[in-house]
Amino acid sequence: MANPAAAVEPVSKKLYFDIKWLLIFVIIAFLVIFEVFPLLYLVFRAFFPEGGFSLEAFQRVYSYPLNWTALKNTVITAGASMILGVLIAFPLAWLVGRTNLYFKKFFRTLFVMTYMVPPYVGAMAWLRLLNPRVGTLNVFLQELFNLSETPFNIYSVGGLIWVLTTFYYPYAFITISRAMENMDPSLEEASKISGASPLKTVATITLPMMAPSIVAAALLVFVSAASCYGIPSIIGAPGNVDTVTTRIIDFVYIGSSEGLSDATTLAVFLMLIANLVLYLSTFVVGRKQYITVSGKSVRPNIVDLGKWRIPATIAVIVFAIIVVVIPFATVFATSFTVNMGKDLFEAGNFTLKYWQVVFTRKQILNSAQNSIVAASVAATLGIIISCTMAYLLTRTRARGRKIPDFLITVGSGTPSIVIALGLIMTMNGKFGINIYNTLFIIIVAYMIKYLLMGMRTIVSAMTQIHESLEEAAQISGAGWLRRFKDVILPLIGPSVVAGWFLIFMPCFYELTMSTLLYSTDTKTIGYELYQYQTYHSQQTASAMAAAILIFVVVVNWILNKVTKGKFSI
Amino acid sequence: MSTIKIDKVRKCFGSVEVLKEFNQVFEDKEFITLLGPSGCGKTTMLRMLAGFEKPTSGTISIDDKVVSSDKVFIPPEKRDIGMVFQSYAVWPHMTVFDNIAYPLKIKKVPKDVIKQKVDAIMEVVHLSQYADRIPSQLSGGQQQRVALGRALVAEPNLLLLDEPLSNLDAKLRENMRFEIKAIQKKLGITVVYVTHDQIEAMTMSDKVIVINDGVIQQVGNPMEIYRNPANQFVAAFVGKIDFIHATSENGKITIKDTDQTLDYDGELTGDVVVAIRPESIHLCREGGKLRGVMDNKTFMGDVNDCYVRLPNGKGVRVIAPPETYDIYEIGEEIGLDFDTFHVYEDDGTDAATKIVT
Repeated sequence: MANPAAAVEPVSKKLYFDIKWLLIFVIIAFLVIFEVFPLLYLVFRAFFPEGGFSLEAFQRVYSYPLNWTALKNTVITAGASMILGVLIAFPLAWLVGRTNLYFKKFFRTLFVMTYMVPPYVGAMAWLRLLNPRVGTLNVFLQELFNLSETPFNIYSVGGLIWVLTTFYYPYAFITISRAMENMDPSLEEASKISGASPLKTVATITLPMMAPSIVAAALLVFVSAASCYGIPSIIGAPGNVDTVTTRIIDFVYIGSSEGLSDATTLAVFLMLIANLVLYLSTFVVGRKQYITVSGKSVRPNIVDLGKWRIPATIAVIVFAIIVVVIPFATVFATSFTVNMGKDLFEAGNFTLKYWQVVFTRKQILNSAQNSIVAASVAATLGIIISCTMAYLLTRTRARGRKIPDFLITVGSGTPSIVIALGLIMTMNGKFGINIYNTLFIIIVAYMIKYLLMGMRTIVSAMTQIHESLEEAAQISGAGWLRRFKDVILPLIGPSVVAGWFLIFMPCFYELTMSTLLYSTDTKTIGYELYQYQTYHSQQTASAMAAAILIFVVVVNWILNKVTKGKFSI
Repeated sequence: MSTIKIDKVRKCFGSVEVLKEFNQVFEDKEFITLLGPSGCGKTTMLRMLAGFEKPTSGTISIDDKVVSSDKVFIPPEKRDIGMVFQSYAVWPHMTVFDNIAYPLKIKKVPKDVIKQKVDAIMEVVHLSQYADRIPSQLSGGQQQRVALGRALVAEPNLLLLDEPLSNLDAKLRENMRFEIKAIQKKLGITVVYVTHDQIEAMTMSDKVIVINDGVIQQVGNPMEIYRNPANQFVAAFVGKIDFIHATSENGKITIKDTDQTLDYDGELTGDVVVAIRPESIHLCREGGKLRGVMDNKTFMGDVNDCYVRLPNGKGVRVIAPPETYDIYEIGEEIGLDFDTFHVYEDDGTDAATKIVT
């Protein structure tokens, strides 16, 4: 303070803004090049196949009966799994979140964890269980009830619906139970004090309050099931049950310009559905959301199930056995079985050789390495973008900061297969960027699809850090870098770790985009597993799937410990 | 030393002008309180002193050094100011010691000096035995003292306090008032204190600046503000007050709808408001400047809090000595006597008595 003139600094306002603008610009540029441009190009290609406007491509694609069947199958299977998924998820979320059910905490973890399991694992398991000739469960039921033939055929639309439902209901379960647990208990207490019975309260207060969340959950299940490739590719293909996603991949594999054109046209259809759903759930349903997540942890009312407590618990146990225990156990059992026609426990039918293969075969290890590298890079870059975005969204009023937020949301809502197709068609050097057949194209695709999970985690953590914590450091003399290091980073640290894994995990075992984007040198573990499952050895594929499952569980456990229970997947 | 000059400072958020032209000089070692209801602009003024907000126009200088003007803006981290936040802003991931030591660490003070200074400050704020605790193990009052210690440890010449006591319970609030005042005297620093609590303003300040709607209403020491409120708002906001509508004419004030009058030598004529402090009114059986009927009385232990209804139906609150509770009965006709009263123009802002903070 001795020399007033020396301490006078020029106004740094302009520079200040420039840095934020630069950050926003870089993120927007990335998203525009790798997300907006490819997606718009797909739409363009669909409507202007040879340069001029034409609906010819649409006409051709949709006049082909096989495509119509695929469309129909997609809408039917996704619609049915949406309805079944919500019918399962709502009572389950209520029982686990709001009643005195036994082992609630365990069930909650169990059902949430299925969310992180790659869907194709479920397809593999159910294929083993309900194969029309040799399916373990089929044979067991046939013998049990003395039937002339096996009761179920997994290679059917019904089979597809069943597997899609068992693997996408957790999406609805998570959405609904989160809303349910955040509901202000006094709303229901007010109903009870007015004389309503517990059931009446659920019907007149809880359910209507939950309606927006239920609709959002249903839409999420619908679009996830419609854009799923892993399950229909494993179950649908043998039974000739085509869906839009499998048709797109088939067309791309044909490789001709016409094939690509047809793939594009189907992809645009899928994209329009997904974007419509995204619009509905964000801007229409989202606005109606009555329940806002409060900072305080509200303790929801716990309903006493009374004499129904034991029957309800048994029902949930049975459900868990059917959708979680049996499929996972099947995958594990398969990985140890020499002859799949025989019982695992028959003499000489137990082997570790497939596990050995998984951890020794160079090809598999290479693919695993590719997946780890791609997923780590995507997660790391994703987290850097997420942190920047969280800062811009919660701490600044910089203009344009909502644009990347919007684009990231759209990216995550776009079906994987559409993102991958768009990248293939645009990143092959035709427009100056050629990352085709490299790991980069895979990393970019992963980021576009899974960035949102990381961003949401970190944004919500940042929102909970009161601005004055940062200001206190500032008034203590800390510059912005120092403030970030001393205050922000330690406080959002656990969320950063969680966010990283939330991006890493789905990228690690990703199948759909990898199927379109891999090259001989850049195969991923997800695609490797798919190839083994379909062409080589189901046992090896099962061993890989089992290894992935163990990995997911271990990571989840570590995450839970590291963040002291605040985060798990 | 720390002298602050605020020259023609204005602040707008978008099209809303939250602070209209603000001109003040704060002298060295002064305890200045910015007092006003929430939303009046007092916190904005404080945050502009700290550097968290930039004035829309105007100049702020600290010790003749311009920290904020059209051309110059020094960010908070370079202003050498101590500040206590309303929410305390104690970092949850650091111990008490680390929280307090932080400003010294930033200044790269040697470790042994840090230890010595932090120990000394912890003594001042009575936290010595809690050095290794983390904030979640502390009570609200203790967290508040951590924030105070952190603001003081780098020996700033200027300390800013943003409603630091508003989250504490009544008893603790009272203790902390005296402690903050004592610390300020001991360290000889300039303090700018923001509050909406007039008792805090009255008990601690050398100078009180009453603000409403972004405009300074009155500046003065607590006694001046209390005894001679510049306008109806200040009269209502600082202390308790009775407003009685009346008409002024020829050196006489006539209470509305009555024949009761008061002598008046001021300049106002026409519709006016007479303002009287309830605690300055004496009750009497005979005589008195005004007369009414005892309507309601409440025994508070130290005082008799009662209402006397004038013939026009207006209830006048009187805070009388406790023994009057037994002397005067409800329904009894009674006289009100007082030495001083203020007269303001009747601008229809009687509702200002219902200030919500």
